[in-house]
Amino acid sequence: MNANGTVTIDTVKDTVYRSCLLLDDENWDGFLELCHESLDYSITAFSPEINRDMIYFSHDYNGLKTLLEQLPKHNTDHSPLKRHVSVYTVDLDEKNGAASSVSSFVVYQNMLDGINSHLDSGENRLFLIGKYYDKFKLDSGRARLMERQARLDTRRLDKGSHFII
Amino acid sequence: MPARNHRQWNDVPGVLKPGEWVDSRIYSDPDIYEEELEKIFKKVWIPVCHESELPEPYDFRTSSIAREPVIVVRGTDNQIRAFLNVCPHRGMMIERRPSGSFKEAQPSGNPKHMTCMFHGWMFDMKGNCAFITRGEDGYQDRLKKENVGLRRLRCEVVFGGFVWVCLNDQVPSGVEEWAAGCFDCIREAVDTEPLEVFHYHKAIIGTNYKLWHDTNSEFYHDYMHYHNRVTGFNDEYFARKNVGFPNGHVNVNSFTVKYEEYEGFESRETLSFPGFPPNQWYMIDFFPGMNFNLRGSALRCDIVTPLGPDKVMIEFRGLGLKSDTPEERRIRIDHHNSIWGPFGRNLHEDLIGVAGQGSTMLPGSEPRRILHGRHEDEFIHDEIGMRHFYDEWGKWMDRSPSNPMEKYMAAAAE
Ligand code: FES
Ligand SMILES: [Fe+2]
Repeated sequence: MNANGTVTIDTVKDTVYRSCLLLDDENWDGFLELCHESLDYSITAFSPEINRDMIYFSHDYNGLKTLLEQLPKHNTDHSPLKRHVSVYTVDLDEKNGAASSVSSFVVYQNMLDGINSHLDSGENRLFLIGKYYDKFKLDSGRARLMERQARLDTRRLDKGSHFII
Repeated sequence: MPARNHRQWNDVPGVLKPGEWVDSRIYSDPDIYEEELEKIFKKVWIPVCHESELPEPYDFRTSSIAREPVIVVRGTDNQIRAFLNVCPHRGMMIERRPSGSFKEAQPSGNPKHMTCMFHGWMFDMKGNCAFITRGEDGYQDRLKKENVGLRRLRCEVVFGGFVWVCLNDQVPSGVEEWAAGCFDCIREAVDTEPLEVFHYHKAIIGTNYKLWHDTNSEFYHDYMHYHNRVTGFNDEYFARKNVGFPNGHVNVNSFTVKYEEYEGFESRETLSFPGFPPNQWYMIDFFPGMNFNLRGSALRCDIVTPLGPDKVMIEFRGLGLKSDTPEERRIRIDHHNSIWGPFGRNLHEDLIGVAGQGSTMLPGSEPRRILHGRHEDEFIHDEIGMRHFYDEWGKWMDRSPSNPMEKYMAAAAE
């Protein structure tokens, strides 16, 4: 792997890690800045119960932007979601200015107002586990997200969430 | 009136009459919960899954009703049958997986059989015991496989292919008769051609199952849903009627939803169900806690499994037509998810709502009145759906919902 390639692998990892910090902070605009306008975002899972691949959520760049902007109009569990992520693999396709990565995630709910805050606030609950399957566009030294599939192992989702994963 | 002291707080508010509220103990009392399992859940038809979840002979699906494990299998004759998922030998749960096929051999048993892993007893798809390991050596002629078939359960596949099971052999009627016409409004839509499940997830929530059913039965809470306010609140919406059916079932009649009023959402008129006008929305609240909800392009079904006075599991399914093209299916999935998915706009709000109610009605909490006294000529925000349900509940329980420590009396306010 050449020096340039090494830098690019780090650039891809950096985008994944930054995306998680921004999502942890509910900085939706910041997250969208890491994305390409052709973004395809989805949350998927396989259900052994019904023996089927499922899509739980999906939006393009504009759809996601609109949805996130409308969040304040909705009643929402405001318990912040905190992600713990490890980038497992990065595959570069420099010829086409593209890359892909697989990362595993664990998402905790840092309880705030979801149920009975007197008892629950401050507690952490395991909310989700799964993997990010990400695809990137590489240009001008940046790796921007073109596709993010958050593939969940969790199918018991309790109250669910208005936030993206 | 200003805030009230304890006596005023316990007085009947305004001039509401019994039947226009329930006592919160029906949502929190452990004895009432146990009694509901015995008197209601073990006695009535419960949908446990959809036929598309076991499409091939030897496919199975497991579930439970009122703590009793249930297994549903498709026989070689394509018939779906239900059994208690309990081994007649020493009570092991026969099949532990949520779904699968008996075509393949299991570590303890042969292909094409249900095998109890513990001591290897085997059963066929009709529930007959097919093999007892070293049977004659241990039982001589005192017990033969003919004596130890599985416990067969009443099972019917109706209303869009849902698999209904009843623990009560003596149930007086089939599902069709029990539904008493409450499915007529979507009958053509769901019964013209086969349906298929495309969505499944579950929630376990700290609340009573009836609070979930209440939320599915009252539309006054559309104030909580930004999406429903902007896509719904119009003259046609306020002309929707709640209609009671025998046996405690309720319909909420349709209107034309204006999805495009929610920024970023599209109209759903491109896709519907057979004979079902586009963008319509019918709802069936099925006693004692199931919900079938047809919103234009997707059918949602909620199945509740009560786990305690203050705990319920809700299984959420989304369905389309089996004949959907991949593009059509994708549209149905998107429409379903945007509102009803675990990351959708409305479901999260509904679940926060009932979790909040559950938090104020823990077992042992002071009893209080939970009101459902709105009368608006049965139009959409009339709370007649809940009143209709609780009158039926009172009969099954022989308890007055407004005063559950007293025997049932016909409600004054229905
Ligand atoms: S408990 Fe099932 S074979 Fe013994
Ligand atoms: Fe709702």
